[in-house]
Amino acid sequence: MAGKKGKALKKSGGGGKKPEMVQDERLQAIVLTDSFETRFMPLTAVKPRCLLPLANVPLIEYTLEFLAKAGASEVYLVCASHADQVSAYIETSKWNMPWSPFRVSTIMSLESRSVGDAMRDLDNRGVITGDFILVSGDLVTNMEFDKALEFHRKKKAEDKDHIVTMCLSKASQFYRTRCHEPAAFILDKSNNRCLYYQDIPLASSKHKTSLAIDPELLEDVDEFTLRNDLIDCHVDICSPLVPAIFQENFDYQYLRRDFVKGVLTSDLLKKSIYAFITEEYAARVESWQTYDAISQDFIARWCYPMVLNTNLLDDQTYSYESEHIYKEKDVVLAQSCKIGKRTAIGSGSKIGEGTRIQNSVIGRNCYIGENIIIRDSFIWDNTVIGAKSLIEHSLVASGVKIGSNVILNDGCVIGFNVLVDDNMEIPMGTRLSETPVQKKASQFSDSGSYEDDDTAEQNESTKVISPAYELVGTDGVGYVYDSDRAEDDDDASVIDVVTNSLTYKFDDLYLSDDSISSTAGKRKKKRSMSTNSIYTDREGDDEEDDEEDEEDFAVEAIATVERAMENNHDLDTALLELNTLRMSINVSYHEVRSATVVALLRRVYHFIATQTLGAKDAVQKVFSQWGMMFQRQAFDQEEFVDLSNLLLEKVAVQGFEKPEFILFSALTCLYDLDILDEDAIYTWWDQVSQDEEYSQVKTLTAKWIEWLRTADEESSEEESEESESE
Amino acid sequence: MSSDINVTVASFIDRLKRRQIYGSYQVSLETLQLLKRFVSAARWTNINDLISQLRALGSRLAKAQPTEFTCGNIIRRVLALIRDEVEEEMASTTVQNNAEPMISSMFSLLQKPVATPSQRSVEHPKADIRQVIIQGIKDLIDEIANIDDGIQQIAIDLIHDREILLTPTPDSKTVLKFLIKARERNNRNFTVLVSEGFPNNTHVAHQFAKKLAEHGIETTVIPDTAVFALMSRVGKVIIGAKTVFTNGGTISSTAGVSSVCECAREFKTPVFAVAGLYKLSPLYPFDIEKFVEVGGSQRVLPTMENDRVGNHNRLDTVNPIADYVPPENIDIYITNIGGFAPSFIYRVVWDNYKQQDVNLEAS
Repeated sequence: MAGKKGKALKKSGGGGKKPEMVQDERLQAIVLTDSFETRFMPLTAVKPRCLLPLANVPLIEYTLEFLAKAGASEVYLVCASHADQVSAYIETSKWNMPWSPFRVSTIMSLESRSVGDAMRDLDNRGVITGDFILVSGDLVTNMEFDKALEFHRKKKAEDKDHIVTMCLSKASQFYRTRCHEPAAFILDKSNNRCLYYQDIPLASSKHKTSLAIDPELLEDVDEFTLRNDLIDCHVDICSPLVPAIFQENFDYQYLRRDFVKGVLTSDLLKKSIYAFITEEYAARVESWQTYDAISQDFIARWCYPMVLNTNLLDDQTYSYESEHIYKEKDVVLAQSCKIGKRTAIGSGSKIGEGTRIQNSVIGRNCYIGENIIIRDSFIWDNTVIGAKSLIEHSLVASGVKIGSNVILNDGCVIGFNVLVDDNMEIPMGTRLSETPVQKKASQFSDSGSYEDDDTAEQNESTKVISPAYELVGTDGVGYVYDSDRAEDDDDASVIDVVTNSLTYKFDDLYLSDDSISSTAGKRKKKRSMSTNSIYTDREGDDEEDDEEDEEDFAVEAIATVERAMENNHDLDTALLELNTLRMSINVSYHEVRSATVVALLRRVYHFIATQTLGAKDAVQKVFSQWGMMFQRQAFDQEEFVDLSNLLLEKVAVQGFEKPEFILFSALTCLYDLDILDEDAIYTWWDQVSQDEEYSQVKTLTAKWIEWLRTADEESSEEESEESESE
Repeated sequence: MSSDINVTVASFIDRLKRRQIYGSYQVSLETLQLLKRFVSAARWTNINDLISQLRALGSRLAKAQPTEFTCGNIIRRVLALIRDEVEEEMASTTVQNNAEPMISSMFSLLQKPVATPSQRSVEHPKADIRQVIIQGIKDLIDEIANIDDGIQQIAIDLIHDREILLTPTPDSKTVLKFLIKARERNNRNFTVLVSEGFPNNTHVAHQFAKKLAEHGIETTVIPDTAVFALMSRVGKVIIGAKTVFTNGGTISSTAGVSSVCECAREFKTPVFAVAGLYKLSPLYPFDIEKFVEVGGSQRVLPTMENDRVGNHNRLDTVNPIADYVPPENIDIYITNIGGFAPSFIYRVVWDNYKQQDVNLEAS
């Protein structure tokens, strides 16, 4: 009797592997090691995100551990940026040993710039043979994957169009690890089929949004739920069709925003996506804030049985003590130091007398001096911190040396190998890196290799970032890193800051805003009552996109026109290029005109500044040759007025020595070309002449218009006289 | 050592770490299977070589899952078996060697080493001892597989008619079988109170109670908090042990057992602990904190609801999943080889283990 029990037990204990064997199906897993984002800059300039340590364990280990538990038999790591580092790491890790539970191989997909690219690359390589797990390399979860797989298989048997099962974790709307890319899911209540997906702005953003659902999607659905409380940890069980769909729709970039939404709303595909909702812990390390939250959760054993003292890495020796304190072997603690709650200390670290550490993670071989206070912080390996420093809610990467009496305020990120001199205070939310990190305009990945940046720096004569001596001291080494969009105004940058920084300040500021929750709640109710109503406004999102687009367009368009002028292109070619650009970004003619005006004026300015031509000749030359472009950019009275307005504005902005003269010449030139007719000029003038603004710029033009009017009158008088005389 | 067995060991360790093997019963059986393969694949010139290899393996397994003591126990049992065998061998060879004059062996030390009979005596039992060890391991497997039968034989007479029993360890299979057997064999009517074991074992407790009820045992599920109130009516407390230490203390697999035993002591209710012999550990619980595993926080606080607590004053949760019961709170241990008082456990331990194997790490 006992023997029988034993057998039964063995089967259940064997994990998810055995059922796989029966079905003769190897469970493949694709790990996207690159996030195609820059949120962890400046650290990701040196190391890929998936190798950054969370609680002293590289992030990728959590994902691989999850896959090992899930019973995957083949794992492919798709690497883009820092691919060499990732593959070098994997080669020496335990996953490459003969006893690894799965076969691991890396796929170099260096050109990939988005999840979509990576998927297309996968499809080209043809490694996928059956259903596979798609995860990102920054997942932390203790989810029981067997259940999800079972769900997937069951649904697949029921619905042959089923292609993706998304594993979502239940949380609340404002859960801390949900702070990035929140989304609302509409699910069929009876079978958890996902009907619609909509990404929504962050809880902290000022934008409000609404969902627009095509009523056709809701046909044949008796009851559905709209959920805004799920953490999307990007664990998907996909059928082999998924990469093919990406291949067909080459514009798909994001897994959720493009792919899921596209599949769900497509009339042609007729594929279905299901959601598996788990209550276990699942989250992705997407930003500094989630890094902070997940690290703390992990330390506080929310992810049990995956905890620090299971020693995920072979050489780790963590043991657990009460109040969530983890210590490795060979930690040297001074007698009077105090180790508070929720702290992990790596081996070889020394903590000096009188130092207090709480709620922090200390890496290996750190030397932490006397009378230091470290709170809520992350200190990575091999750092040295001098006496009497205060480190509060900051991240100190490996190899950093911090002098004594240094204060790190809330949310500082000190990059690899930075040196901070004695007696410095680093203000809230500062990010420092050892070498300046160049920002490229179109940089979507976690930055290319470092060498690239260096050469780029030499070639371009962009602003040279000087070492931040005022922060790191005269003997220090360190450069300030500004977020990519720091220059952007208003809300976009605020969101960016919120998600990008480690600081408490912002989440307190925004998350305490209860009005958001109340509106969200209301919206939910409304939706469930009126199933068939259509909401078409989603202005919040659009606006943001548009702003970005416009800016992109301006830069691009100006560059196009300048290029055309420099290389003396055909007028038609230039116009064609502009038009393509306009259509691809979908902006109005106003932007096109604005860009052209700016480009022309810059050209004029260039001639004058280099003294190749005089002001009048320059304007004449440029405008007579290229002014014809406006003929196909402005079509009616209103648009001509707009053009003149633009001229006025841009001339004023450009900073000519004699703006009034330039404006006058430009206008006459356009008048001579018959682009601007008198009526347009008069209407425009009537609008602006009273305006106090640019009065200096307008002086000459005023005279010209006066002259024009009198000439006109004269001529008309003449004409009338003539007609009279006739 | 072939790489094949290395792979097996490493994957076993990984599975232990990942808790794909859990529960002392399962762990012990799998450890024995592993040992069987290990011993048959191992190469050694000297029996001490094998012993040190096994000790190294034991310390690796113990580190993989520090709160799972059965791995270590099993390896120590096998080590004791080997040492006994070696001792016997030594005894027989010394008898043989005694025939040779002492002096010649002294000379042979100084001379060029020649093939001596003593060398042959090491070589000769080598194939033999492998067989002996593997047979010993097979015997151990049999013992563990049939452990519940032995316990039942002893324990059945301890239950009286119309008695009220309380068990706070619903996850113990031994307790379950024991109760069912008592019901079937003696046809006695008794009532079992099952405490819920919130939060980790609640589901298990409910299943346990259902199974008992299916077998015609009157069963009541009570919340953990009601234990003290009901204790006055309870005739016996039956707990399952996960590990029994030399001092007679035990680690139980459910949190809250300690307080139940404390209540029982208050009411002078006898506490029976049932444990297979393989759960006896030669360790002494110096640092109880190290031996009690702390589980996941999400069981205590519903998952994902710690959202707005904020970073500054985070809510703390502690969820121990095991409990240490000191020896004075246990009246008798019922093992498959008999019932023992906690104070006598050390004797049983030293019958089965060797002193030099207590610490596997020091070589």
